[in-house]
Amino acid sequence: MANMLWLQGGACSGNTMSFLNAEEPSACDLVTDFGINVLWQPSLGMDMGENVQKLLRDCVSGAIPLDIFVFEGTVVNAPNGTGTWNRFAGRPMKDWVKELTAAAQFVVALGDCATWGGIPATAPNPSDSKGLQFLKKQHGGFLGANFKSKAGLPVINIPGCPAHPDWVTQVLVAVATGRAGELELDDLQRPKTFFKSFTQTGCTRNMHFAYKVSATEFGQRKGCLFYDLGCRGPMTHSPCNRILWNRQSSKTRAGMPCLGCTEPEFPFFDLAPGSVFKTQTMMGVPKELPEGVDKSAYIKLTAAAKSASPAWAEKDIFVI
Amino acid sequence: MAYLGMDSSNIQPTEEFPEDAPLRAQVEKLLHAGLRSEVEPRAYDPEMQQSVLARLQHVLAEEVAKRVEIAGFTLHPYAAEGIEEACETCMYFLSHRQFCALPELQLPVKPDWSCRLWRI
Repeated sequence: MANMLWLQGGACSGNTMSFLNAEEPSACDLVTDFGINVLWQPSLGMDMGENVQKLLRDCVSGAIPLDIFVFEGTVVNAPNGTGTWNRFAGRPMKDWVKELTAAAQFVVALGDCATWGGIPATAPNPSDSKGLQFLKKQHGGFLGANFKSKAGLPVINIPGCPAHPDWVTQVLVAVATGRAGELELDDLQRPKTFFKSFTQTGCTRNMHFAYKVSATEFGQRKGCLFYDLGCRGPMTHSPCNRILWNRQSSKTRAGMPCLGCTEPEFPFFDLAPGSVFKTQTMMGVPKELPEGVDKSAYIKLTAAAKSASPAWAEKDIFVI
Repeated sequence: MAYLGMDSSNIQPTEEFPEDAPLRAQVEKLLHAGLRSEVEPRAYDPEMQQSVLARLQHVLAEEVAKRVEIAGFTLHPYAAEGIEEACETCMYFLSHRQFCALPELQLPVKPDWSCRLWRI
């Protein structure tokens, strides 16, 4: 039996909604098949008021062993570092977070807000929000760069806006069943199982990427969304086209450019006008190229690919 | 036209769109006749791109000369910093139809033409 406590800071509840839609395994499977005891969760917890306060105090003191602490949302520090803009169970949430992360065997940051700060931490960051161990790309965040939970791991980051439900439940199962050691984390503390490949990996528009045929408007079935519509699939680490959403599709399959929501810089360019759904270019060349490709190679590849493209690549074609 | 060793001149415009050839010839004739298009400033930054696109959005489809003028078409590639900005390498260019698929232009073109909305 592994005790799990889940709290929400500066959040929209999107990751809770995502979690409740998990299928492989489902939220119920965590309890019935994998021995996770949900001490409290914002949408599932039965206790209120004094009872929640006592539960949290018992977790901090060790009277109730806290195996997994899941945090969703940012750590709100405003105003003036007090954190009182986000009070919970009688005190600033950030004070609970500090004590509970120190008491937990494993700490999981769920969603962009908890991992990097996400949208709330976008400039000018009025709520003085931070992720648990990062603020955007800067290591440290609320807990500091040297933080390790009792089990000796840093915060396990599961980013996404929201995170895919099965990324969440599969990581929780690994932790709860004593296989946390198998969770190899990348430089941004994301499990490599999910975040080593790219969003583009498995995208059904890859043939259009290869032949440099661009989608020029939303709703087009043909064409790659990277060249003109700002898709970040080739630069974003996520399994969105390997582990499909609702077991059916993904953003790019449905014609929606990837927004790069599993990367710390999301939302990119601080949401400046004209920066969303538009590939940013410098003298006509994308400012950000697919990972590992330089400008000169990109230009040569484009010329070659367009010259070699077959006629069918320019025609309307089902990509889902 | 050869570009970086690639040759797309062997690709013939598809006959699936018979209306393309006369329109392409019309554009070519306009430019040969000395139509002064706005080749510069190039639409390199988002503000300039948006400005050019916004102007194009107000031009009727049949006003071909106006579209060619605003987009800054030339009958040869524009070159900057060692990069030839030819239609044939542009993201909006459909090689087989030889057509610019930028929604605001939608014009038959030739591989070695160029315009200031070029992007790769």
